Amino acid sequence: MEGIEIAMLGVALAVGLAGSGSAIGIGIVGQSACGLISEDPDKFGQTLLLQALPGTQGIYGLLAGFLIMQDIGIVGEELVELTVWQGYAFLMAALPIAIAGFSSGIYQGRVLASSINLIAKRPEEMGKGIVYAVMVETYAVFALLATILMLFGIDL
Amino acid sequence: MIIDDTIYGYAVARVKAMETHLLDQGQFERMINSSTTEEALKVLSETGYSAAVAELDDVHNFENILADELSYIFNTVLKISPIPELIGMLALRYDIHNLKVLFKAKFLGVKSDLLIPVGSMDLSKLENAVSEDNFLLLPEKLRRAANVINEDFMINRDPQIIDLILDRVLYDQLIDAAREHNAPFLEGMFVRQIDLTNLKTLIRVKRMGLSRDFLARVLLPNGTLAVDRLTAMIEEPLESLISMLAISDYADLVGEGVREWSEKGSASTLEKLSDDYITTYLKEGKWVPFGVEPLVGYLWAKEIEIKNIRIVLVGKINRLPAESIRERIRDAYI
Repeated sequence: MEGIEIAMLGVALAVGLAGSGSAIGIGIVGQSACGLISEDPDKFGQTLLLQALPGTQGIYGLLAGFLIMQDIGIVGEELVELTVWQGYAFLMAALPIAIAGFSSGIYQGRVLASSINLIAKRPEEMGKGIVYAVMVETYAVFALLATILMLFGIDL
Repeated sequence: MIIDDTIYGYAVARVKAMETHLLDQGQFERMINSSTTEEALKVLSETGYSAAVAELDDVHNFENILADELSYIFNTVLKISPIPELIGMLALRYDIHNLKVLFKAKFLGVKSDLLIPVGSMDLSKLENAVSEDNFLLLPEKLRRAANVINEDFMINRDPQIIDLILDRVLYDQLIDAAREHNAPFLEGMFVRQIDLTNLKTLIRVKRMGLSRDFLARVLLPNGTLAVDRLTAMIEEPLESLISMLAISDYADLVGEGVREWSEKGSASTLEKLSDDYITTYLKEGKWVPFGVEPLVGYLWAKEIEIKNIRIVLVGKINRLPAESIRERIRDAYI
């Protein structure tokens, strides 16, 4: 593989895996939300907010992917000539958000499904349900931070 | 990697929302404190039962409301459950209950109206089977049990045998089903119900003065209390049963309930404490986010609610004092 292909693999993983984590997480919350809404349609607004939260991992993944694409010239004027080693550096930089985005998206979804059960009985406690989910979010943010720092460190 | 247990998300969230409609302590208090049955029904008409209460022509027919509600709730939970078999096995309890009622009605010649229209088998089918002594349409295990009951009753003329035989079939099947579907939480509930049934059987047999052999034959297997330890208790005074179970989970229940039964001859406290015991167990699974536990818990909670409504309304119809109604009211699941 050429350097550019390896870097593109990094883009694919960052966007694809983090996005899958979000999709699964949102799917889990959606199932629970439907259960609640079938009994209590007035809570639609609240459940929608909860359901949207695991979407951030996919956004982080897309952001990381976009940064790489910009660095290597996929978006922009012309492709940058990459050595194989530079290509690997981009792939490695993509991994933190790809891995943590995937797992945190799923687990955040599970926490939020429980939060749906929580607001089924106590709608006024929704804030606490969100706080528990944000605890999971922390690690997606750390991963994105690591990814960005690694990208900044790559000399072209 | 799709995590399998999330298939329960919809059902659990829906059941959590349904739980909010369960009658609370305050509503029961108002029903208990109302001076007439009509007033108690009025409290009920402010709840989810309102439509049914409005159509009720005679207070004495309130059982119809309760039966309809139970059947509606059971079918709803069955429908939303991602693994219907787990909920479906609970229907067997109603089949067995109906069979008990029908057999007793047949042998004792009384018309009973306590049939529950929930269960895996059609009520009219069951009624025909019992009245015509033709059990071909029943599942095999039930068919065999029904034949045993028929034969035994011809010889012994003892209606108690109906409960004992049918309970055995019920719990054998429930334990088998729970193991087959790998449902340890359900199995835990059945094991506890077996223990409680065995304790009641022991005391009943003791009070009837029947033999140790008879007791050994009717105690249910699969409980946590060993059958031979229980049979040994038949010749002992009640105190030693209480001390034997003093370090078990059943200490309070036996201490209070059994003592009352032996002193006053009324099993009602033991029955209440048994129900509360199962409620406490099911509460452990109340907040499981993905699993069958909250579904089973909700069904039980509904059954307890219905039982409590029955206790209050029967109490009001018979003009029992509020205090004696209150002490029979089961603990709430929520």
